[in-house]
Amino acid sequence: MSMSIAETGFGVFAAPAGGAAAGEWAVDLTDVTKVYRGGVHALRGIEMKVRRGEIFGLLGPNGAGKSTLVKILMTVIAATRAQGTVLGQPVGNKDTLSKVGYLPEHHRFPEYLTGGQVLDFYGAMCGVDRATRRQRAGTLLDLVGMTAWERKRVKGYSKGMRQRIGIAQSLMNDPSLVVLDEPTDGVDPVGRRDIRNMMTTLKERGITVFLNSHLLSELEAVSDRVAILVKGKVVSQGTIDELTAGRQYYEIEIDAPDAQSQQPTFLKALPMGSTLEQSGHESSVAESPPNSADQPSSIQVTSRNLGGGDGNGGRQLAPDASGLLPSGEKILLRGGTLQILTSDHHPIQAVIDGLRQRGVAIRSVRPVRPTLEDLFMEAVVDPTTGKAFTPGAAENEGAGR
Amino acid sequence: MNRIVIQSWALLTDAYRELNSKKLFWITMVLSCLVVAVFAMFGLNKKGLTFLWFEFPLPAFNSDIFTPALFYKFVFATLGIPVWLTWVATVLALISTASIIPDFVASGSIELTLSKPIGRVRLFLSKFITGLLFVGLQVAVFTGACFLVIGIRGQVWEWGLWLAVPIVLLFFSYLYSICALVGLITRSTIAALLVTLLCWFAFFVINQADDLFILNRESAELRVQDTDAIIAKRVAAAEKALANAKEKNTPYPIAQEGEDQLETINPLLKFARQQKREAEESLETWQMWSRISFRVKTVLPKTTETIGLLGRRLLSLDELTKLGLLRPDANEVESDETAEAQPNDRENRRRGPMGDSRAAKRLQLEMRTRSMPWVIGTSLGFEVIVIGLALIIFSRRDF
Repeated sequence: MSMSIAETGFGVFAAPAGGAAAGEWAVDLTDVTKVYRGGVHALRGIEMKVRRGEIFGLLGPNGAGKSTLVKILMTVIAATRAQGTVLGQPVGNKDTLSKVGYLPEHHRFPEYLTGGQVLDFYGAMCGVDRATRRQRAGTLLDLVGMTAWERKRVKGYSKGMRQRIGIAQSLMNDPSLVVLDEPTDGVDPVGRRDIRNMMTTLKERGITVFLNSHLLSELEAVSDRVAILVKGKVVSQGTIDELTAGRQYYEIEIDAPDAQSQQPTFLKALPMGSTLEQSGHESSVAESPPNSADQPSSIQVTSRNLGGGDGNGGRQLAPDASGLLPSGEKILLRGGTLQILTSDHHPIQAVIDGLRQRGVAIRSVRPVRPTLEDLFMEAVVDPTTGKAFTPGAAENEGAGR
Repeated sequence: MNRIVIQSWALLTDAYRELNSKKLFWITMVLSCLVVAVFAMFGLNKKGLTFLWFEFPLPAFNSDIFTPALFYKFVFATLGIPVWLTWVATVLALISTASIIPDFVASGSIELTLSKPIGRVRLFLSKFITGLLFVGLQVAVFTGACFLVIGIRGQVWEWGLWLAVPIVLLFFSYLYSICALVGLITRSTIAALLVTLLCWFAFFVINQADDLFILNRESAELRVQDTDAIIAKRVAAAEKALANAKEKNTPYPIAQEGEDQLETINPLLKFARQQKREAEESLETWQMWSRISFRVKTVLPKTTETIGLLGRRLLSLDELTKLGLLRPDANEVESDETAEAQPNDRENRRRGPMGDSRAAKRLQLEMRTRSMPWVIGTSLGFEVIVIGLALIIFSRRDF
């Protein structure tokens, strides 16, 4: 599949209407609730905003309500309560759908249709006239690399080929908003890259892409903003930078064959006034620093478990020790690595100086930003148990299907 | 408006593609053509029935008695429609179309269609019409071929034949509405097919029961009329005998207290009156049952009677009589003399109402007096309710 839109003449699609009349938001939900029969609460007051012309990623664990939300936007499911707009029109408005493209998850096209007929039929269902359909079908088949299969019946297609045809049909109506539910499902790595490129090109043309995917790396690579849905609620929403703000840190790794043995050196190298508490000991013992001016003012060995909630998405093991720099930044010590929880590079300098003065060889100093996976894991882990939430609804409330 | 036209045309094209992809559609079409070809191979001449170059001499069934046009119309109205189109082709059509709605609402297929700017009611009705289109095309081809056969072989261009298209379509639509509703609820082709066939069988049984009740009612009524006539005759004879005896002063049996003098003179009168009472009781019973069956039928689709409309249109009572399907004097009340003159009727009575040709003709007459608005209107009422229910479910369901 060659997704070079410029080369394939994707320019037949006009840029969507913009400006004040169109509004800033492609999707603006203020309160979307869905309660299924039997009292299963799939969505509990969703509040979500998707800017026009951006790629918006929706993520969440199984049963979080993602598919329910997408289906409500596409009028496949009726919301129990829906306050909000899609392309400036109330949620559920059928006419709006003529400007929305949709690729459902696990879609199934009528097997008696050929690839070309699929595009023609769904284009017609959106009200696109025949001449335009023909023109677009050719362009889009070329775009998704399916021209050679145009006259072959869908029942002979592989999963990846069906996915490509599905993406092409979602663009047949020259949409302002494209909702893609797991678009790379069943697609090979090259195809995935092409789909990512295509989404970027759609964005460049001002088309909003609403992306629902389990592939976090994929979402991270293309999304401008993301929302994490857990148990029918949006738990966080924003750009990756916004979501990771305050969670960035610097990591200093020393060059030592046995990093564990270097821990005392680390402790001695910290600026004066720092505190450090060691973990994993049976009892708390206060150690008096040696008579040295550059020693930490106090070093405590405690039995506290500092694992989880350490600002790193909970994916690392509990630190060996933790404490604070005199300037207030939290520090964590894990083996031969010292983590300083700040995005500001200034407090790092004194630590580096101290290490160098002690003759410690530094292998690397790097700023670390939590990945989307870290954010996701943090969102889906129950802070009380430290385990991921079970899929679907909470026992008494339910969270969808 | 433009969008509605584009969508409607696309749905129609899609319906055709869907039918075209079904092998059974073409198998049924070929079988229909074969049936018409066999139909055309039969003929009538002065000696009797012919099939290709073979002759089957039948003194009571030849072109001197029936015109070829009447023969072909008869075969079309009594075999082509009620047997081929109503049973064989309908079963094939149901098998072919039962999957349309379950496939349509299957997970993965329905989401994409519902996400388009088109109302759910239009979507569902378009799929329903796809099923009807299957039968519509089949009947149109079959009727067209029969029209040509009757025109060429029978020398009569019977335009009324084309009535078969809407009538068979109507008949099929009653059944298909049930199929669509069950298919929507269960999403299962097998369940839709089985329930439809069961309902069809139930309608057939109810219709047969209705026929049976009417036949018994009419037979009982005829017996009441017959015994009335016999009683009147015997009363007159007994009165005459009594008068003669009194006039000539000849002895005659005197009735005891509580006995009827005339019955004493003619014991057969007593027997006839007893028969009349029994017939009246029977009449009352069958009247009640036929009223019940009529009410039940009123709220259900009348499959047999809908198809019967075509026979009513194509073959008049005179033609039916000519074909020997009805007795010419079947509506007359029987007397002792006629009973003696027509021993077959005594035989009929022995065989019960099913063999009573006068009751059979009365049944035919009653069926023909049931108006088209009642037959079609009430059946369509049922269909509208079933489709309405399906539309409500489809419109409100979360997929």
